[in-house]
Amino acid sequence: MSATYARNDQEERAGRVILVVTSLLAALLVIAGLIYARGTGERHQAALAAAGCEPSLFISGLPCTTEQMMASQYEAIATPATQQLNTEMAAYAVDERRDLAAAEADLSAEVATEQAFGKSLAAATFTPQNRAAAAALIQNAASSGTPVPLAASIFTPQVTAIADALIQANQARAELTAEQARSSSLTQLRSFNQRVQVASVAVQTEMTLIRKALDSPSP
Amino acid sequence: MARSTRGRWTDEEPAAYDYQPVPYAGPGTYEPDLYPDDAVATRQAKEESADDNQPPRRTAKSRLDEWMEVDFKFGGSRIKRKAVALVLLGAPGLVPLFFMLPALITLNSNTFAVSVDDTLGTGAELCLFLCLLVTPLSTITRQHWFVPLRRWYGIMMACCAIGDATAAGITDNFAGGVFGRLAGHVFELMGFIMVMLVIPLLITGNPWAQRKLGRYWKQLHRLIYVIWGLLAAHLMLLEGFGFESGSNGSGVAGDGDPIFHQRFYQYSVCSLFLLTLRLPPVKRWIVARQREGRNWLVYLTILPIFALFVFGFIFIVNEEIFKGLDSFAEHPSGE
Repeated sequence: MSATYARNDQEERAGRVILVVTSLLAALLVIAGLIYARGTGERHQAALAAAGCEPSLFISGLPCTTEQMMASQYEAIATPATQQLNTEMAAYAVDERRDLAAAEADLSAEVATEQAFGKSLAAATFTPQNRAAAAALIQNAASSGTPVPLAASIFTPQVTAIADALIQANQARAELTAEQARSSSLTQLRSFNQRVQVASVAVQTEMTLIRKALDSPSP
Repeated sequence: MARSTRGRWTDEEPAAYDYQPVPYAGPGTYEPDLYPDDAVATRQAKEESADDNQPPRRTAKSRLDEWMEVDFKFGGSRIKRKAVALVLLGAPGLVPLFFMLPALITLNSNTFAVSVDDTLGTGAELCLFLCLLVTPLSTITRQHWFVPLRRWYGIMMACCAIGDATAAGITDNFAGGVFGRLAGHVFELMGFIMVMLVIPLLITGNPWAQRKLGRYWKQLHRLIYVIWGLLAAHLMLLEGFGFESGSNGSGVAGDGDPIFHQRFYQYSVCSLFLLTLRLPPVKRWIVARQREGRNWLVYLTILPIFALFVFGFIFIVNEEIFKGLDSFAEHPSGE
């Protein structure tokens, strides 16, 4: 009987030792974990910077969107639209004094280009839908082992704020151009030129701002 | 000793996957409140104590246990408080399967291929830990009303693990056909063995099988410890002991917490609590303190280990929620 009690006592003591040692180890690990957790933010920023990622577009575990990708995406939208618009504006400059129908056709083409530009910009802004679509493209690229497509590079919220202003300015210009295209005479047509010029300056101002934000060179 | 196995089991909630053997050490070691809810173990101890002319063990109910047994009126019927609490506490067990439901309905093989291992695999791990958590909590709190959750989480663990293996066998990109996808790598082989072992547990995790198998049921269900051990090997082989600097192990920028996301570390810190409180000397010490009325000392000593368990468990839950929500939206994260 006493041997059993002694054995129980011994076992109980062993239990106490195990529990105390484990508790101390656990306490140390919890403290170490809490200290380590304090540096999470800095480590995250450092990791993103090392990979050249845009923090707001970072999707855990997926290839990230870099500033360069965003700038390329913007250029892919803006450069062809600007070139197209310049061509159409040059054609309008020729036709505005001699051919009403041709000038109106030039203006209609300008409106179409401006609207397409606005749509392309809106598709690259930071919205839940665009972000989900970009995530799907990134995911597909990651699973198939192919490079992330440019279409997956949406703007950061900061760039989106400027892009939204650009979309509005562009929309105002497109509406004005559409109104101009409905003119009944060449004189009435030319009377819009000053207002369209002001609207174009507003668009160009926003384009300069967005290029600056993206660190992208002016064309 | 003559006994009726059938009569013994009919009015009890049998333990499905996890129970503790009674460390009965002969006369003088009788502790009536030691493991009162471990049905099989209780029966074994009862036999042994009867053989040694010991008084039969009785199941002591805590005040909360008694409160949980009280009925209340709901609609036209009466429901026990315990039933409501168990439903609420058991509901999270369905979450991993719920996360994969849209992909299953739309037969989205991409979601299955990319994230089923994270959603259902991590879900199975969570259910295993919750299943294993019941006994230590019962030991510490001396409450038993939540013991049926052990069976429930065992079943959900089996469902998640089988679902994971099935989807991996169909949709994974590994070469070698179905077998190659299931066991082509050593970590997969570990997972495959775990699933093979969990199947008999799932089949026999019911009172009928428990009655039929008698004392062999307990031996069979000790396989849960083998599965627990194999999970360590599975996770170790999956991610190793290390982690990539600044990342979560996937080769891209992480969220700055690579250590916390390391699955083997999560497993280890959770297992420390679950294992320590299963050691017979530790249980004996706890019961002795409880008998002395110094339960506060038990809580105080266990607090750091439990805190560490919670620390690790939170990150597994975090993984499950984020991967699961991605799977639910069918934009699976391949991290």
